[in-house]
Amino acid sequence: MHYQAESYGNYYASTVRQSAAVDPLERVVRLASGSAVVIFSLSTCCMCHAVKRLFCGMGVNPTVYELDLDPRGKEIERALMRLLGGGSSVPVVFIGGKLVGAMDRVMASHINGTLVPLLKEAGALWL
Amino acid sequence: MASHGVGGHVLSDPEPSQHHHIQYAVPHTLYPPNTSFINQEGSAFDFGELEEAIGINNDETKQTLYAVRPRAATLEMFPSWSTKFHHTPRESSKSEEESADSESALNTLANRRDTTRHRLQQPHPPKTHPQMEMASASNNPTTGITQAQQLDAKPTPPKGRGARSNSDKLLDAKTLRRLAQNREAAKKSRLRKKAYVQQLESSRIRLAQLEQDLQRARSQGFLIGGGVAGGTITSGAALFDMEYSRWLDDDHRHVSELRSAMQSHLSDGDLRIIVDKYIAHYDEIFCLKEVAAVSDVFHLITGMWTTPAERCFLWMGGFRPSDLIKMLIAQLDTLTEQQAVGIYSLQQSLQQAEEALSQGLEQLQQSLISTIANCSDNDSLHHMAVALSKLNGLEGFVRQADNLRQQTLHQLRRILTVRQAARCFLAIGEYYDRLRALSSLWAVSSKREFHC
Repeated sequence: MHYQAESYGNYYASTVRQSAAVDPLERVVRLASGSAVVIFSLSTCCMCHAVKRLFCGMGVNPTVYELDLDPRGKEIERALMRLLGGGSSVPVVFIGGKLVGAMDRVMASHINGTLVPLLKEAGALWL
Repeated sequence: MASHGVGGHVLSDPEPSQHHHIQYAVPHTLYPPNTSFINQEGSAFDFGELEEAIGINNDETKQTLYAVRPRAATLEMFPSWSTKFHHTPRESSKSEEESADSESALNTLANRRDTTRHRLQQPHPPKTHPQMEMASASNNPTTGITQAQQLDAKPTPPKGRGARSNSDKLLDAKTLRRLAQNREAAKKSRLRKKAYVQQLESSRIRLAQLEQDLQRARSQGFLIGGGVAGGTITSGAALFDMEYSRWLDDDHRHVSELRSAMQSHLSDGDLRIIVDKYIAHYDEIFCLKEVAAVSDVFHLITGMWTTPAERCFLWMGGFRPSDLIKMLIAQLDTLTEQQAVGIYSLQQSLQQAEEALSQGLEQLQQSLISTIANCSDNDSLHHMAVALSKLNGLEGFVRQADNLRQQTLHQLRRILTVRQAARCFLAIGEYYDRLRALSSLWAVSSKREFHC
């Protein structure tokens, strides 16, 4: 399956064609578009805990997918790692279906003031 | 031994060889028997040259030197001395004094050089003529005579001080000696002034570096109050400390540049270059910290690389960005409304981000505690492995904290005008400079002892 990649900008380095029933990346996309703020996380990861606390502290109610509690979580983890270009797989944040990135991107966008408008646009923040 | 060309200097060979016998046999009372340098014309010569160049006025060395320096060489180098040498034997020969042994010759030289500071080995009236000094010396014919004869027979006056009357020569000798002393004193005071100025300029840097060295020594196992008990510093930590100390030197330079730029009212374009350079300078340390976090996160997170006062305010391996903004608000008095909103929201986002990271770190610590606590005997290896992997999560938090710090500085640069940014960064640089100096002051105050 070929993906319409417009809304994801240039984050997709490569589109993986898989014969599996559901491409993990496709699943990621589907899950990400399902809510205003989506976080892919691991229940044991403390950085994921930090990013969750960040959004909760801002008054945002994110949808969190704990990949270690998902039977096919490993696939998604691998897909996310490919998406981000190595490093750690989680946490990964999507806002309004668009990929924001890992923790450092989230932090940077918060500091430079682009996170809040993004949240407002996605309807996750009021006021 | 003949006084041939010494140490590359061109010497005139003024007289027949018989007068080149330089008596190196000195009384044991004055010199240790194995003074090797006595027999090395070159080395004695060079030492004297060096001595004058750096303005040392060491009586003893002078004393020694003048006694053993090859006569011809000496005369070339120290024209002020030539007439003394020249003069003395003439006087002595005139007064039929043949008892100039090395000791008295030494006295003569030493006295001549520095009457005020030299402790005379033999008392003599102030207006002493060389011949009198020699006359009062004890007789030691063999060595003394030879030496006196040499000195006596030295015919070539260097630098055109030809045959003169005794009194003229005496005056000249005194004048020359005074001139030589003045030269020395002037040289010394010049050097002293230079050293003092340099000291003033670098005193803060040295204080900061001293503190760094102390910390390094401490972290190398000579510790007070726990910490790295008996352990050595990791190579990653040592490397970072070295790079950090170099970064601190750079920081001083940047801050001075900023300060002078502010005072000299540069154009905005020029100021922008300096401001951007300062930001790049901070980018550099964050880069270095990223590498250090991989090799030794404990070194960063415990603040062993900083001064005690900085460590007191340490947050996740560095300064707390929201505190920085708080400190800077006082410097930002001429903000537009848009800028004020920007600063306020920056402060707010920082507080939220810091809170989030702190909570994440807290969870890591709790998880680690429970893992270590639940280490059972049969499963300990597994638990320790889990604990170790959790510990590696520390690196991520220090990196995110540094990321926050870096983003803060960049955002400040975006919000503020060039001039405002310059003022801010100058304030930041000076603030941490003072904090470090405070640490050094603390270290030396109340006779604090550091045990090694």
